Parts: sequence; C-alpha cells; structure tokens
Amino acid sequence: MKALGAAVLVLLAIGVEVSAHQLDEYLQATRVAIARDRVTLEVDLTPGVTIASAIVEILDANADNIIGPSEAGAYGRAVLSDMVVSFDGHPVVMALEQIEVPTIDAMRHGMGTIHVRATGSIEAHAGRHRLDFVNSHRRDTSVYMVNALVPDDGAVDIVSQSRDAHQREFHLETAVRPGWATLLWFAMGAGLIGVVVVGTKRRTEN
Amino acid sequence: MALPSRLLVVVLLASGAIGVAAAFQRSAPPAGVTARAVAAADAFLQTLDDAQRRKANLDFNEQTRVVWSNLPTGIKMQVGAMERNGLKLGAMTPVQERAALALVAATLSADGFRKAMAIVDADQELEVTSAPTRKPGAPIRFGRAEYYVSILGKPSTTEPWMMQFGGHHLAINVTLAGTANVLAPTHTGAQPASYSVGGKLIRPLGDENDRAFELVNALDDAQKKQAILGYEVRNLVLGPGTDGKSIEPEGVRAATFTPAQRATLLALVREWVGILEDQAANAKMKEIESGLSETYFAWAGPTTNGKGAYFRVQGPAVFLEYAPQGAGENNVDHIHTIYREPANDYAARAARR
Repeated sequence: MKALGAAVLVLLAIGVEVSAHQLDEYLQATRVAIARDRVTLEVDLTPGVTIASAIVEILDANADNIIGPSEAGAYGRAVLSDMVVSFDGHPVVMALEQIEVPTIDAMRHGMGTIHVRATGSIEAHAGRHRLDFVNSHRRDTSVYMVNALVPDDGAVDIVSQSRDAHQREFHLETAVRPGWATLLWFAMGAGLIGVVVVGTKRRTEN
Repeated sequence: MALPSRLLVVVLLASGAIGVAAAFQRSAPPAGVTARAVAAADAFLQTLDDAQRRKANLDFNEQTRVVWSNLPTGIKMQVGAMERNGLKLGAMTPVQERAALALVAATLSADGFRKAMAIVDADQELEVTSAPTRKPGAPIRFGRAEYYVSILGKPSTTEPWMMQFGGHHLAINVTLAGTANVLAPTHTGAQPASYSVGGKLIRPLGDENDRAFELVNALDDAQKKQAILGYEVRNLVLGPGTDGKSIEPEGVRAATFTPAQRATLLALVREWVGILEDQAANAKMKEIESGLSETYFAWAGPTTNGKGAYFRVQGPAVFLEYAPQGAGENNVDHIHTIYREPANDYAARAARR
C-alpha cells in the first residue's frame, strides 16, 4: 500500500498518470552463455518509476546529470559484486566487459534499461559440468529472470536447467563433448595398448 | 522398341518444359503481394515532400532495421539513438496517412491489419484516459498520432526492403524479399487489453490469450507437468533489443501432442504468423508445421482463463512469447508479446542467398 502510494506520487510528479510498466520493481533479466573457456552474463536492468531516482543517484555519483564512463563502470562492478557464479563448485570471477546506460530521462520515466555484460574464465574439459548463478542485487525491490542461451560453442550442450520460484538462483547442467585432440590422444593410447598386448602375447607364445 | 523411344522423347520434352518453367519462375518478378506492396510504397512516397521523404525512406541496413521499440514516444532511450524510424501519422496530411496505412495493409493480411489497428486504437483509448491528468510539458505521448511508418531500402519486387509500422505496443517489421516475405521480429502488445467501441468489446490480443488457455487445458497431466514452469516469468525473455539471441527451449515438446492438440498449437501460432500477408503466412505455417515435433510449449502462471499467465512457443522455425505485465495473476490489462523466426529475423535467409 505504501509502495503504491509512493508510485502514484511519483507518477503525478513526472506527469505519467498511466502505469506503463512495473513501477516499484527493479527488473533484472540475465542471460547466461557458456563455452568451454568462459561464462558470459548479459544483464538487463530496468528500474521502475518509483525506484529509478535511487538508481540514478547511485549511477550519477557526482550529481552532474551526466553518467560518465567511470560512473557507469563503477555501477556495473557494484551490480556484479552482488552476483555469484560458480563452476563445478569453484567461484568464477566475473569481469565487467561492457555497460550501456540509458538517458537519465528514460530512467526517471521507468523506461530505461541498463545493459551489463561480464565474462569469467573457466576450463571445461570433456564431461558433465554444473554452473550455479545467484543474483542478490537489490533483493528488496527486484524481480528476476534468468535464461541459458544456446551455446555458440558447438562442443557444449545444455543438459538441464533449474531455478527457484523467483529466478534468483539458477543451476545449469552442461556436457562438453571431447574435442578432436582428446579423441586423437584416446585413439593413440588405445593403439599403444593394442601394440603392447599383441607384443606381449607373441613373446609369451614364443 | 518404338514405344519406349517415344516415351523417352516425351519424358525429355516434359522435363525440359518443367525446367524452363522453373527457370522462368525464378527469373520472373513475383506478381501479387510484393508488387502491390511496392506500388503502395511508391504511392505513399509520392505523397510526401522532400523533407518528409528523407525521414520516411531510409537505407536498409543492420543499423536502421533494429530501430524499433515497444515503448511510447516522447523519451530518448539511449544517448544518440533515434526513437523510431519514419514519419508519424500525426505529422501527415489525411491523404498521406491514407497512403501510409494502405502500404501497411498491403504487407499484412486483412486480419493482421485489423489487429494492428486495434492495438493502435487501444493506445488511443490510453491517450484519451490519461491526457486529462497529464502534467503540462510531460513528454510521453500515447495515441494514434504517435505511430510511425517507414520504408527501409528501395521498394523492389526482387531485392529485400522493409516496411516498419510502430508505436507504443506495436512494432510490425515486414521484410519484403521477393516471394519470401518475413514478419519477424514483430512486437505486439495492448493496454488496455480490452475496450469497447460502439458497445462492441474489442480485445486486440484476445484470440492469442484464449487459444493458449485452450491449449494448456487440453494437455494431460504428464504434459502439463512438463509444460508448466516452476517459476514466475514477469516479462518477455527475448523482447525488443535482443535480436539474434536464442535461449534453450523449455516446456513440453509437441511431439507428444495428439492431432487435436497440434491443431490448437498451430492455431495459436497462426495468431502471430497470420498478421503477415496470406501467401507468405501460409508458407511459414507449413514450415512451422514440418518442425512441430521439435517445437516446445511452456507456461507460467494460473491455467484459468481470465487470469494472467505467461507462455512461450519455441521451435526450429518460430519463437513467440506472451507476457502480462506487472505482478499478480489479475494483471491482465497490459500485455507484451514478441514473434521471432530463429535465424531468419529480417529475412536473413533471403539476404544470405
């Protein structure tokens, strides 16, 4: 009720009387991409009208009504610090690769989306793997979405994905197919064993 | 011996004739829909002055084609970005507007054009109800005047070009590529989701909603268990701004469907595909049907019609989502949807050829 009251006040203040989109929620939609050597997060952050001012205040740290690259970068890193990615139980350090910030005007009207892209290194050898993702950024006001992208890396298959009811926690089972080098080593190993076995057998027969 | 020889000659002649006919068909300009769209585009451009024409007719490239949105006009979303391509209806004379809408109609089916205009009318309703309390100077505008028409590229019966018609809750992106016209990506939405005109109830996306509820309730328990996602989905996953992305499918596979369930699923998909002109829409439906066994149907939310629920259809030739906006199952008056074609948005296949 309190949130609704605040929403109405803000709407009247900016002159949009019709609720176009989520007003008092911070929509955080994450897409997770996995390859053998990296995990990528693409996060779209859309603050609703009633919380946009708070987000703008953090983004525009020096309050000059311009969100500069360093301010945007600082915000992107702060968002990422609230997200935990682990691969086969080991934490993955996610580095900010890109952040795009909408106009302050768009955000104040609840229609601006901040795009964050981050990557982290992993080593996924042939076999099954598990990726876990937990998003705890602004839990008090947020609505979450998370989905796995179809891997660009042809050696990686998504086996299954699961989430909690609010899509804050996400678990991804993947399978990495052995590459040509692995298969070649396997074939050479098998060949070597064969040679040894045949040689041993012949010596025994002699 | 004479009979087989004669037969051979007949077969050779027939094969030759078929080959010539096929070659002629490939080289001949496709008559019908695309030609009518080209004529409508040229007619629209002829109604404009030079400045208007420069706004309405832009190059067709990777930068221009992605300029579309679900949002109302009045706010620049990204620094340096354009809100929308083209010329808005509110900046046109009545003659120009008629020509613009004739172009839109030439690329769509009769039902598709009706649906698009019902969405425009819903937004006009929103403008009428919101304008009286709008603060002076507020930039956001709703309503019919705020819908834009643009032509990307040179209208042609053989080379790809594009017609965009969009405003709040509507982004029709038709790429015309000879006979291979493509609707994707296209966004539809509605707020209000129902309104009355002359005592008649209009629900621009009512059939999408009703067919989806029909399908989910036609599933048996095992199918429902697979189809219904165990989490809430509060918006489109691949909405505007996510071109080229592809997510892992979830839900129940239509390979398990009975013929009646398959028919309902196809009727549901047709609600989006059928926005496009009939010839291309029919071809697209055949393509979707051929990949139906690999198509997934996913659902989040209550299964009682009248409540708000999210759903998604995803297959080799189609990706579509329907997402009521806002919290709670009673939020049914504000809908967003998206229609995409995997690997073929903006007629990518025709462009590759």
